[in-house]
Amino acid sequence: MMKKALITGVTGQDGAYLAEFLLNKGYEVHGIKRRTSLFNTDRIDHLYQGPHEKQRRFVLHHGDMTDSSSLLHILRKVQPDEVYNLAAQSHVAVSFEEPEYTANSDALGALRMLEAIRTIGLSEKTRYYQASTSELFGKVQEVPQNEKTPFYPRSPYAVAKLYAYWITVNYREAYGIYACNGILFNHESPVRGETFVTRKITRAFSKIVLGLKKCVHLGNLDAKRDWGHAKDYVEMQWLMLQQEVPDDFVIATGKQHSVRDFVDAAAAELGITLRWHGSGVEEQGIVDQVQMLENKDFDATVQVKPGDVIVRIDPRYFRPTEVETLLGDPTKAKEELGWEPQISFEELVAEMVAYDMEEARRDALCQDKGFRVNVYNE
Amino acid sequence: MSKTALILGVSGQDGSYLARLLLEKGYCVVGSSRDAQMSSFANLAKLGIKEHVQTESVSSTDFRSVLQVLKKVKPDEIYNLAGQSSVGLSFSQPMETYESISVGTLNLLEVIRMLEMPVRFYNAGSSECFGNTDGERANEETPFRPRSPYAVAKAAAFWQLANYREAYDIFSCSGLLFNHESPLRPERFVTQKIVREACQIKSGKQKKMSLGNISVKRDWGWAPEYVEAMWLMLQQDKADDFIIATGHTSSLEDMVETVFSLLDLNWHDYVEINPALLRPTDIKISLADPSKAEQELGWKARYKMKDVAAMMVEECLEGMTK
Repeated sequence: MMKKALITGVTGQDGAYLAEFLLNKGYEVHGIKRRTSLFNTDRIDHLYQGPHEKQRRFVLHHGDMTDSSSLLHILRKVQPDEVYNLAAQSHVAVSFEEPEYTANSDALGALRMLEAIRTIGLSEKTRYYQASTSELFGKVQEVPQNEKTPFYPRSPYAVAKLYAYWITVNYREAYGIYACNGILFNHESPVRGETFVTRKITRAFSKIVLGLKKCVHLGNLDAKRDWGHAKDYVEMQWLMLQQEVPDDFVIATGKQHSVRDFVDAAAAELGITLRWHGSGVEEQGIVDQVQMLENKDFDATVQVKPGDVIVRIDPRYFRPTEVETLLGDPTKAKEELGWEPQISFEELVAEMVAYDMEEARRDALCQDKGFRVNVYNE
Repeated sequence: MSKTALILGVSGQDGSYLARLLLEKGYCVVGSSRDAQMSSFANLAKLGIKEHVQTESVSSTDFRSVLQVLKKVKPDEIYNLAGQSSVGLSFSQPMETYESISVGTLNLLEVIRMLEMPVRFYNAGSSECFGNTDGERANEETPFRPRSPYAVAKAAAFWQLANYREAYDIFSCSGLLFNHESPLRPERFVTQKIVREACQIKSGKQKKMSLGNISVKRDWGWAPEYVEAMWLMLQQDKADDFIIATGHTSSLEDMVETVFSLLDLNWHDYVEINPALLRPTDIKISLADPSKAEQELGWKARYKMKDVAAMMVEECLEGMTK
């Protein structure tokens, strides 16, 4: 029989990749999305099946992690074999501005879902995946971080996720629910949210190259992260729910790069070599060389020249408490689940730049022909 | 000028003892309860200080409520002892437990931050955050492994405090208090249940006592002296977190035996084990290392489990003859 999966946060980066992955595995996939005035389903539009299609395998439900009754109704209707709780206020910096909302959706949201599973009587049937995060390690207590490394959360986001982590463990131990935490280190893709630093960089550079934008403002360039590709990571989420015994896993590449490395790599993809000048908030990324790249059909329109300042620092993006370095040790996932990431850092950057370049070229074309182009300011 | 202290959750055991301590120290004490007009403040009355504590209605899960009381009272020190306090109850009220403990703490931190108050903030952490420590004594560096919705909520509150201290330089301290008992403990706590029911058995009003898991081991101290440690934490130059405990661990069975033998009874004749009272997940043994508090605060527990049991039994018998 066809298995049913329920994904919260289906409109997000991971939700979209996971939905596609599970559909390819033959699942019937149900997703929960919040009601919004504006459409926000662009990441899953290619999967959408209208209500009048026969044998629909991808179904969206309105619901909200802050509303227990919505979760109860959806669970009762769908009776899923697997629940993937990916919904969250997922931005660390925003959590300093909206700490209570972050706690409500990320911490209590997980509790509401686990409670709903118990209430509907699905404790034995439904397997639960909780999207945990490397931000739990925060001010890291050892390098690299594995499943035994003590947590030291450094933001309201991380504290809310800490609650979700432990309540997941508690419901596994107390009620025997098959529940797992995936402690995922940063994972990016062309559909990463535009306010996350990686996507912000690739989007900005694509526009800068075409003259649609002059410069990008960033925060802490020396923050180091373990960056993987979201597409690799969703397979892992599924694998965790296919084991004999539920457990928690660190998912990471085991390799580390700084934000500055990411900036340099993204620039290099566009044929730009940067030199860094100054320090602290005065530091600037200046174009040193522009190289015409072969096989890139946009080179004729490259609008940057040596000497242009295309990266500046804005202390606005510094966080009240900074997480300086994160590096995951994915040994357990490799040994017990046979999982290894396939996509390298360089391939990830290349894919993101290529995607954003295409969007920027479309914008440039529209502008050129006199059409208004949406400019999304931060 | 005398200092003003605001105690959230003043009607509870710790709140009442803390109010008494601060009054003795010359503080102006304002205490809050969710509904101050409906609350009897029976514990304050028992300690004979009800008239000396100014009371306010505050629901710490409500931002406006917290904002209003802080603006009005302008405290020098805030002690947040409010919140759902029972581990057992947290399995049946996980949501309320999170909201009252974690959201309540967050609201207080946010209001302090917003008002830019130079206030010192004590928050009631809990030894439950440690869970099973594999036979090691928990100190301030021991990683948390919470085993109940109560403990998970307390762990979140602990980290919120640490984060606001580091991010916004708010003088805030978590006291990781191990079990601390007194005659003011309500009967849903197992120590008080044992004392009360054993006294009932002694006086012939009850025949048997049902208990859950009596092999659990805890570090039991005397609440009236634990509140001194809370105050001491806020008198230091630097905000920090401390474990408060006796450093001695005994089993619940030891406690049962102590209480019954104080009444010249053999507990084996009266105690029945009822599996319905077992918790879905429980901590087998909790072990504490309170040396940091001794070194840095000069605080050390004077009373151990047997002293605590004796004082509770004495008070209970006294109450029954009244």
